[in-house]
Amino acid sequence: MSNLELGFLSFPILLLMVFLRAPIGLAMLLCGFAGWYFAMGGNPNVLLNKLKSETYTQFSSYSLSIIPMFLLMGQFATLSGMSSALFKAAESFLGHRRGGVAMASVGACAGFGAICGSSLATAATMSKVALPELRRYGYSGGFSTATLAAGGTLGILIPPSVILVIYAILTEQNIAKLFLAAFIPGIMAALGYMLTISIYVRLYPKSAGTRPAQPMSERWAALAGCWPVLLIFGLVVGGIYLGWFTPTEGSAIGAAGTGLVALLSGSLNWAVFRDSLFGTARTTAMIFFIVLGASFYNSFLALSGVPQFMADWVLTQGFSPWLVLSVILIFYLIFGCLMDSLSMILLTVPIFFPVISAMDFGMSPEHLAIWFGILVLIVVEVGLITPPVGMNLFIINAMDRETPMTETYKAVLFFVGSDIVRVIILVMFPAITLFLLPA
Amino acid sequence: QDVTLRLHQFLPPQANVPKLVLDVWADNVEEDSGGRIKVERYPSMQLGGKPPELMDQAIDGVADIVWTVVGYTPGRFPSTEVFELPFMMTNARAASRAYWEMFEKHMKDTEFKDVHILGTWVHGPGLIHANKEIRTPADMEGLKIRGGSRLANALLEKMGATPVGMPVPAVPEGLSKGVIDGTTIPWEVTAALKIPELVDNHTEFSGNALYVLTFVLAMNKDRYESLPDDLKKVIDDNSGLEFSVFAGGTQADSDGPAREAAAARGNNIVTLTEEETAEWRAVSQPIYDEWVAEMNERGIDGQALIDEARMLIDKYTE
Amino acid sequence: MHQAVHLLARTTAIIGGLVLVGLVILTTVSTAGREIGIGEVNGSYEILEAGVAFAIFSFFPICQLHGAHATVDIFTSQLPKRINRAIIAFWEVVLTAALILISWRLYEGMQRYIGNGETTFFLQFPVWWGYAFSFAACVVTCLVAVYCAVMRVRECLSGRALLPTA
Ligand code: NA
Ligand code: NA
Repeated sequence: MSNLELGFLSFPILLLMVFLRAPIGLAMLLCGFAGWYFAMGGNPNVLLNKLKSETYTQFSSYSLSIIPMFLLMGQFATLSGMSSALFKAAESFLGHRRGGVAMASVGACAGFGAICGSSLATAATMSKVALPELRRYGYSGGFSTATLAAGGTLGILIPPSVILVIYAILTEQNIAKLFLAAFIPGIMAALGYMLTISIYVRLYPKSAGTRPAQPMSERWAALAGCWPVLLIFGLVVGGIYLGWFTPTEGSAIGAAGTGLVALLSGSLNWAVFRDSLFGTARTTAMIFFIVLGASFYNSFLALSGVPQFMADWVLTQGFSPWLVLSVILIFYLIFGCLMDSLSMILLTVPIFFPVISAMDFGMSPEHLAIWFGILVLIVVEVGLITPPVGMNLFIINAMDRETPMTETYKAVLFFVGSDIVRVIILVMFPAITLFLLPA
Repeated sequence: QDVTLRLHQFLPPQANVPKLVLDVWADNVEEDSGGRIKVERYPSMQLGGKPPELMDQAIDGVADIVWTVVGYTPGRFPSTEVFELPFMMTNARAASRAYWEMFEKHMKDTEFKDVHILGTWVHGPGLIHANKEIRTPADMEGLKIRGGSRLANALLEKMGATPVGMPVPAVPEGLSKGVIDGTTIPWEVTAALKIPELVDNHTEFSGNALYVLTFVLAMNKDRYESLPDDLKKVIDDNSGLEFSVFAGGTQADSDGPAREAAAARGNNIVTLTEEETAEWRAVSQPIYDEWVAEMNERGIDGQALIDEARMLIDKYTE
Repeated sequence: MHQAVHLLARTTAIIGGLVLVGLVILTTVSTAGREIGIGEVNGSYEILEAGVAFAIFSFFPICQLHGAHATVDIFTSQLPKRINRAIIAFWEVVLTAALILISWRLYEGMQRYIGNGETTFFLQFPVWWGYAFSFAACVVTCLVAVYCAVMRVRECLSGRALLPTA
């Protein structure tokens, strides 16, 4: 069997293992092992030798060290009460409107997303703060959980973002520019979700209660309580972009800053600190096991020649670039119903990126890479809230056992709809994504 | 075809060395073998790992052939550093020829005994690119400079500059944001990195070059031994002294157009006179003494290597 | 036994976490030092790379213990509980085998770097030091993984839940 055939054969086998509940990192690792083994004519030595340095090399990476640091930052931010301060501020401004508490939850998620690099952490953290409030003011179960699941995706859309870091490394793009490009689409997402909420409460008036308005003085006081978030976001993302420091340094400064705020707020005792280390540890190990599996599998795919073959094939067919892009994005939407975003990015970007970068969309290679990255980021994030497998849906569901999953599924489709509209707008007008970038 | 060889390296395919040296080598091998050898080219570390692991990948057979910077694995191939000493090399062809000769004599069966080396070369003269005019070692005081090698970093320290470690692709961003004030690289690389657009001052030296890096093209030993004799001959005919000189020369030839491009932008290219260069050489002298001492600790006669390299480089410099 | 493994996994995660916090502080100090003009901590990125590898390796035991690896269970969740337990036990055993393989190869990698004298670029400390710390964490990972595999198999045989699931 040729290496190319081996490469193509590995896809169904990988999917089969994943759907049989193999840990995704393990499934990729095993496919990589088997691929290298058979490609070397059944000689295990190359594989065993490759393994001598592959794990350590992947884990001792300067750029990837951003990930545990941003995760730690998110943990500290939760501890220091930043999440509740954000919610309180958003609620005081928006809470009295119809659907206002839900809108406030989205706003607070956007704010928390600005200091947290992970969607799951954002969804989990903000649920803790916002779910009880939503229920208190008579918001229906499914509407509340769906709002928070969707709001959680802002954790990755609004920089800093773990997924963008991975994308930047895979495609050798500038992390700071990707962060900058994600900014407007991230704000659009938050506004889109708020609009969705106002439509939803008009369609289902019983799904939301009301809350009295607060005096302006209290609103400003609540907003003033958010200053650490603003300061840290400004320092980290601004500093990375202005070039005061590298993204890795920025993540360290962010973690140190939130840690310091947590310490000063008096909420950082040993038990809490320990739990935040455990939270960071579990997610970090989970991510890096997938990273390891993907790197092994991707090196085998490169060896097999599949990405090159796909790119050549698509080019010789003479498809329009826009058609190819649309097919890829739809593929992500469908697979997003089944798989988690990180695994999808690691698995597919090495195959799709060469295809896309070989096509002419009338923009520079760098702009194309950034624009495509943001589009992919958004569609895989939609995957977090598309039924049946949506990580954010699961997280929220685990935190609110009273609401049946089916109700969450129903309500979340409105938010998925808003996401799809946004993707279409961003595909049609690349300038929106590229607006903040230097020419 | 009968044999497929995987060539792995760290640069994108359109960079000078892959395009002008490695592809040429691979095409020649394919053609001379009458199509019986196919060289599969894997740029940009596609087969996994980081650049420092390339040498081990060749030893282990993860790749059949690798192109790598010897200095990426400090401490493992110390003898090659003799060519990286400050103001050692004159031009890339002469130094690459001397390097191959000394490789065969001193390194083939010792430091490089685990791989089959196909070529040894150095790039064109390394020089300083900075955001201010540099004429004397004192001008370097307090600047943050990316150094190209272990010895280049040592030299920067001697001049009171702060050597900053960053991979080559990070240099443009580092310069544009002031994380570094300058960098030491040969002209050839400056075009791809857009260095002339980021800094206005370039300092060249007269006579010998400030520094260079040493490269090897290395093949898995068992893979080479397993080839039938006629294919071995194809590899042999395309490798060795002549190829090394071609590789070093070709890489250095790319310096000229890149330098012209910087000049055309109106950048300030300072070429130091012999007298001015002498001051720099004086500052670099302690590096020689330290290096000889280090080599002696490893049981290598460093002074003898220096003398021989000098003699050979002078001999081959027209 | 259960208590001892939990303690081991948690302690290892805390040590790794403290190293991570240490790296956060080191990197912050180094960056601040450069910005205010007193200079970076020399070679801090080499310490960061070696340290973060150790931290990540030490995070594996607790991830293992909590079954926190990412999976897709939409299809298998339709199956009866018994079969699900068997599937989970099966992958846990395979995962453990893979982690033992990884650790063994990491050990061989360490041996190679002890043998060849390679150092880092700036601080010029031997590369194998980083491997050694990471290998120590790997040993803990293997112990915890073997324990988890045994427990998952017992869960499968007895039909009772013995370990937490994420
Ligand atoms: Na974020
Ligand atoms: Na989904």
